Amino acid sequence: MRISDRRFALFLMTPAALFLAVFVAFPLFRLVADSFFKISPIAGGPRDFVGLDNYFRAFASDAFIGAGWRTLAYTLIVVTLEFALGLGMALLFTTLGRSSQIWRTVFMYPLMIAPIVAGLLWKFLMIDNFGLIGTLLHQAGILSNPNQIGWLSDPNIVLYSVAIPDIWLTTSFMCLVLFAGLQNIPGDLIEAARLDGARAPAMLFRIILPLLRPVIAVALVVRGIDAARAFDTILIQTNGGPQSASETMSLLIYRTMIRFGDPGLASAMGTLYLLAMLAVAFVAVTTIWRPGKDN
Amino acid sequence: MRVAERTTQDAGAPAGVSVEPALRPATRARKRRGVNREGLEAGRRSTRTLLWILLAVAMVLYGFPFLYLLFTSFKTPIDTIAVPPTILPREWTLENYTNALGRSGVVASFINSIQTAIISTVLSLVLAVPAAYGITRYKTLSGRIFIMAALVTRMVPPVAIGIPLASMMATMGLSDTPIALSIAHTTISLPLSIWLMSSFFEAVPKDLEEAATVDGCSRIGALWRVVIPVVSGGIAVTAIFAFLASWNEFLFALLMTAIRSQTTPVVIANFQTQFGLDWGSMTALAAVYSIPVIILTLLLQRKIVAGMTLGAVKG
Repeated sequence: MRISDRRFALFLMTPAALFLAVFVAFPLFRLVADSFFKISPIAGGPRDFVGLDNYFRAFASDAFIGAGWRTLAYTLIVVTLEFALGLGMALLFTTLGRSSQIWRTVFMYPLMIAPIVAGLLWKFLMIDNFGLIGTLLHQAGILSNPNQIGWLSDPNIVLYSVAIPDIWLTTSFMCLVLFAGLQNIPGDLIEAARLDGARAPAMLFRIILPLLRPVIAVALVVRGIDAARAFDTILIQTNGGPQSASETMSLLIYRTMIRFGDPGLASAMGTLYLLAMLAVAFVAVTTIWRPGKDN
Repeated sequence: MRVAERTTQDAGAPAGVSVEPALRPATRARKRRGVNREGLEAGRRSTRTLLWILLAVAMVLYGFPFLYLLFTSFKTPIDTIAVPPTILPREWTLENYTNALGRSGVVASFINSIQTAIISTVLSLVLAVPAAYGITRYKTLSGRIFIMAALVTRMVPPVAIGIPLASMMATMGLSDTPIALSIAHTTISLPLSIWLMSSFFEAVPKDLEEAATVDGCSRIGALWRVVIPVVSGGIAVTAIFAFLASWNEFLFALLMTAIRSQTTPVVIANFQTQFGLDWGSMTALAAVYSIPVIILTLLLQRKIVAGMTLGAVKG
């Protein structure tokens, strides 16, 4: 007896679907459920239903609102800079052509490095006193004192500094994706524009970027989602400090849960964070990406 | 299902094709001028020299942070935090390496990392390969819903499900085991694997397994004996990504492991608190942990590039 194709397809998908249901959907359900309770951090401790109280507390706390804005700012900094750098590198590799292939490979290496290691090595470059960047800038005569810029200790700039490892790690990804997109632009189209007298800026903004739009959209959405969840690099560099100036949402939730022992509040924050991510991603996917449509 | 087929046809014709004939003379004119560079490639010698210099500067800047980590790992522990720091070690020594690897738990953490990554990779593939095949070959509504759901899973912040997941593992009696952590890592790599494998299956002509079924193969037989060998390259790429996702993961490892199943990223991070600021050992361990995967990348770079760009450029 032969089962229908539709059944067969379902049969093939079931194990993966079950796995995601048990290990992603169920924990998410638990998260949302926990957000309505006041929970003692001690195992087996009391668990009281408090309705929306945790949500009110989240919105009333400066830490939560601050972390929300910082996460947004962090994501914009990371994605904007790595897009600009990645596009620059992709154009450079494209204009140099096949002879630059080996360097394209080398350029990829940060992608394989653990974020925790990347955070560590940049901390080592930026840290006060024995950080190399301050020392080199001082020796070059740019800074009067190697510690003049407190990369990781000045609350006003720390959010930019902690973004650097993330940018360094994934500019390669942007570059790779954009490079592949550039290879798909028909050479004749470029040639025609060149014969029409298009200069470099017009070529970039009128021809290349519009043609790359779908690729750019995918790259920005994928990286935006990742950057908004950044945790490892920030934790190892500053642990959210100084004065919470680099505390993004992931770190705040982690600290609320583990350090301050308030799983109920942390769950409410996590739920709001997830909803915000889903809303942004949904808008992005439906307006610019539409993955199902082109397949 | 009919809608799906129609959009496939619409998307089938790339925008460039219809423009091409009109542009032929331009190409010929260019060829006559003796410039045989294609498209965006720069032709003039001076421009190319300038671009090469630019690339050299970019590569030095981009490569330097990791080189500095390597150099530092060969310094003496005291020179590691010398003020002012030097780029190259004054004295090359393996002291940081012997210190780092001699710490209790460090070698065990390597074994844990390897175990966890392998279990997670196998689990991802076993689940993702049939699922992706079901999605791409049969194009059912449930398949479309499923791939969207898998995509949504990618957006879930690990910090949000880490704690509930850890308590689930405790209930199942799996606390602090590589199996628990590899299950957590699979929640990250499975959606990615499904996505990648779908792209690879998409490229396999349908005639292939139709011929096999006509020859008397069952559908599972056709998948196993005909389609899987064809996409074996794609499976390798997916495996690399699943492995790396687990190898480099930190947050789940931090939340779900205690002593027995701790992976190396957690140990690296713990150097900072547990032993004060032991920078030297940290850099040595970070180097030891990163170099195998960097070498792997350089060896398999073609495949990795294909995997990374596939989803994005096709989607």
